[in-house]
Amino acid sequence: MRLSKRSTGATMLAAGLVLAATGCSTKAPESGGGGGGGGGGADVQTDIGVEGQTIRLGVLTDLTGVFAALGKDITQANELFWEDNQVCDTYDVELDVQDTGYVPQQGVQLYSGMKDSILAMQQTIGSPINTALAPEYESDQIVNFPSAWSKTLTEIPGTGVVGATYDVEIANGYDYLFEEGLLAEGDTVGHIYFEGEYGANGLAGTKAVAEEMGLEVIEAQIKATDQDMSAQVTQFAAAGVDLIALTVAPGQTASVATVAEAQGLDVPILGSNPVFAPGLLQGPAADWLKTHLYVASPVSSFDAHPELLEQYKEAYPEATVSLGVVVGFGMSEMMKQVLDAACENGDLTREGVLNAFSELEEVETGGLVVPIQGFEVGKSPSLQSFVLQPADVEGGAKVLADAFEGQFAEQIAG
Amino acid sequence: MTQFLSLLLNGISLGAMYALIALGFVIIFKASEVVSFTHGSLLLLGAYSIARLSEPLGFLLAALVGIAITAVAAFVIERVIINRLRGAAVISLAIVTIGVDIILLTELIRRIGSDILNVPHPWAGGSVRVGDVGISENRLIAIAVAAVLIGLFFAAFKYSNWGIAMRASAEDGETAALMGIKQGRVSALAWVVAGVLAAVAALFLVGSPTPGVSPSTYAVALRAFPAAILGGLDSTGGALVGGLLIGIAEAMAAGYQDQLLFLGRGFSAVVPFIVMIAVLMFRPSGLFGTKELTRV
Repeated sequence: MRLSKRSTGATMLAAGLVLAATGCSTKAPESGGGGGGGGGGADVQTDIGVEGQTIRLGVLTDLTGVFAALGKDITQANELFWEDNQVCDTYDVELDVQDTGYVPQQGVQLYSGMKDSILAMQQTIGSPINTALAPEYESDQIVNFPSAWSKTLTEIPGTGVVGATYDVEIANGYDYLFEEGLLAEGDTVGHIYFEGEYGANGLAGTKAVAEEMGLEVIEAQIKATDQDMSAQVTQFAAAGVDLIALTVAPGQTASVATVAEAQGLDVPILGSNPVFAPGLLQGPAADWLKTHLYVASPVSSFDAHPELLEQYKEAYPEATVSLGVVVGFGMSEMMKQVLDAACENGDLTREGVLNAFSELEEVETGGLVVPIQGFEVGKSPSLQSFVLQPADVEGGAKVLADAFEGQFAEQIAG
Repeated sequence: MTQFLSLLLNGISLGAMYALIALGFVIIFKASEVVSFTHGSLLLLGAYSIARLSEPLGFLLAALVGIAITAVAAFVIERVIINRLRGAAVISLAIVTIGVDIILLTELIRRIGSDILNVPHPWAGGSVRVGDVGISENRLIAIAVAAVLIGLFFAAFKYSNWGIAMRASAEDGETAALMGIKQGRVSALAWVVAGVLAAVAALFLVGSPTPGVSPSTYAVALRAFPAAILGGLDSTGGALVGGLLIGIAEAMAAGYQDQLLFLGRGFSAVVPFIVMIAVLMFRPSGLFGTKELTRV
């Protein structure tokens, strides 16, 4: 009977460990605020992060985690931008680039290491890390540009979401489909979305549009680790959906496309901006995606900015470029406008930069990012989106519709 | 009806792959009394190797080399770590395998990054339709290959010297050793077989309709664990039944999400674990575990 007992015990142990392994949680510790001092120009007031003619900005990116490729593109674009640009023609900008590996705890630690030497955050990648750092950014008066578009991020004072939030973004996507006759009033939509803030925010957009246009919505919530969308698409096919909406990651997009093709579900697919990555065009779903996927996006693509692509490829000839480069240039351009404004106000202290940020209106980035109305707490910074479609071009997508404000945007933005 | 049949077929194909992974889990336990948590990273290693090697070697050779790499990795883990800890408590060994898993997984995730690596299966995204029921060719081939492999495995388990030696070791290790059975060899071979099964499952898991190799591929193994456990951790037949049960339950729960709304959104993700807990409540050794044990 020895084996029997042992086997039962091992079974229970294994069951317990599996449950523990799948239910992991991340909780970020907090650390206190602080400050320091520095020099500055003759008539411009400065405090932390400005030494002589050099401004230091922090970058918390992901160079080794799951968003490594994206993090690298955004960060290299940030660096390239500041190599060629100065703040009010006086200050050079130096970036303190740190790799969080997409781990919030790591991000919090790295921030506490850099916070006494930086003026603001050029980039913080990932909603979980931004959320973990929100209390510190607020108490340290940090201006920060995240590379995520969740509505909750707009609640953090000083954090500038680079475009429309996910709900507004997908609503603009719907608007495009209605305009083009790809969707009609009273149609049925199947929406697959991630659990958590990103998915919920995208779904909120779909629901708002559905209410206005009498759409029937079939919801399918998934986890980020779910890769096979067969069951969800089968459910949609049975319900006879006229559109598949996605607020997921590129992997699920590919799966949706292959299953839809296999099941003959020939309907358009509308996605939030993170659903697409150029790598999808090397997979079996490529042809279906090129004709069926519409991506609502806060940034333009390279076909509208060939000069940017050329500059980037010259600096990084080995890189496979993604639209992260456009995001990187766009957010650096915004930071420049904030710092220029603060400098003109004669106040390059953290408080001065935060004030300049809050007062900013009508931010234009030369068509890289949708026009920003201003950074008001709790509101989508923009009401506009581009609509992109996968294509065999650098960056993997072409522009179908230039930045526009759809009919639902204002109401959703609140 | 079409929806039901589509989901059933999808569940079976998913279950066939869970069964392959669960089978490896079970034979490692039978041969070395280790609850191996390295399976997730071995699966990912197989998928990653095949994807990376596909370009220089072509699909077929890459698949063979990728499977071999995974088998060798499993062999090395057994020889270098598990074999040296022979006799340690089951829980210590399980935790050691979690450690190995995390190390291997971290490195693989670092290498994969946010890319989606595509495996150029010759059947690509093709699909087969019978009436209104469609399934990807990849999944259909997966069912066939899994059936052949599982059949071969059961035959080997029953008739080959290794199978007999392994069953003898599992029944009574000391007596088997006295009869001249080298337990180390039995255990090493079990790990190699488990590695091969995981890599073959990976080969199909990263094909249509799933998007390719990404760090999430790892999560599939986490769903194969409950398959092994509910079937009976020491029952190879149980792994097969458990795999199919979990696959079908998961596909149905995802496909009928709207009808199951009272259980909350995202229910399908927890279905494998709910089924496992439900089974263990009534049969603590799993569906088929007890039958095997009463013979001792």
